[in-house]
Amino acid sequence: MHHDQHDMRPILKHPLNVRVFHYILLMSFLPLAATGLLLFFKPLTDQGMELTYNIHIIAGVVMTLDAVAFTVMAFDRVVLFVARVFSLSERDVKWFMVLGGYPQKFLFGKKVPVPPMNKYNSGQKLFGACVLVGGTALILSGLVLWLIPHAAPRDLVWLLGMAHLASGLLLTAFLPVHLFLAVYRFDDFKAMMIHGNVPYHDAAEYTPLWVEQEIAPVATSGDELARK
Amino acid sequence: MTKKTHLFAEDSFFLSRRKFMAVGAAFVAAMAIPVGWFANKLARRNDYIKARSAGLYQDDAIAKVRVSHRNPAIEKYYSDFGGEPLGHISHELLHTHFVDRTKLS
Repeated sequence: MHHDQHDMRPILKHPLNVRVFHYILLMSFLPLAATGLLLFFKPLTDQGMELTYNIHIIAGVVMTLDAVAFTVMAFDRVVLFVARVFSLSERDVKWFMVLGGYPQKFLFGKKVPVPPMNKYNSGQKLFGACVLVGGTALILSGLVLWLIPHAAPRDLVWLLGMAHLASGLLLTAFLPVHLFLAVYRFDDFKAMMIHGNVPYHDAAEYTPLWVEQEIAPVATSGDELARK
Repeated sequence: MTKKTHLFAEDSFFLSRRKFMAVGAAFVAAMAIPVGWFANKLARRNDYIKARSAGLYQDDAIAKVRVSHRNPAIEKYYSDFGGEPLGHISHELLHTHFVDRTKLS
């Protein structure tokens, strides 16, 4: 399709509070992942490892405050996110059977039919579930391991340490996939990192059910914008 | 006049009460599974200590000689040789003496 034929009318996909939350999450999780790997493999001197530990703790506190503040201040967004992530149907099975058509597109340059998706596709939903459950596990276990490892029961501390490691490694492994696909879907990338809007044609192509079922003209419809 | 830069947005009322309840239930269930698992692990964390104590009590109950000073070998030592507990010979033979060897050089 030629660019002129694209419907460029903007749809608000990521509101401001979501973008701010995502920015703080990005700035805290990247150092957490890097220092977490350093703490696991211990390649530095004692002093270097101590600095790594301190950075890990500070970034962890920032991430925890970010998550708690967002849950309290934008509870409706959190409920919506949970609803979307945990709503499964046959379409998700079909999506996973072709993996969203991405491998065929990247490896063979072939386009295969993909079941219509809501705001998030099945892969994003799986990632969302891992972030929700794994992130909660990371925060809770991290707090116990940092603040009361001596006071908590010994076996519990060991278990929490294992849960912290497993969740951290899982989410860190997801990170390169997330970054790659985020930049690949460049309209969505700009929406999350800059202005919050995706053009109509992009939303209709990748998230047809979302556009069909949930998208409505804004109440204070931007008449001036429409005239442009 | 509006400052909005978009023409469309999500209809914010699409989340029904039924769906909210379903989401809540799924979330509680997802959180309850690890909590149940942890609680079970916690409750059973001292099982091996309890089993060891029970084994020792059982050994005690079925043992013929239950106190050390009724040990026939010890009794024979005192009657034939050592005299009495804490006596002179026993003190000489059974006490351990320590020597300071930190200044041998």
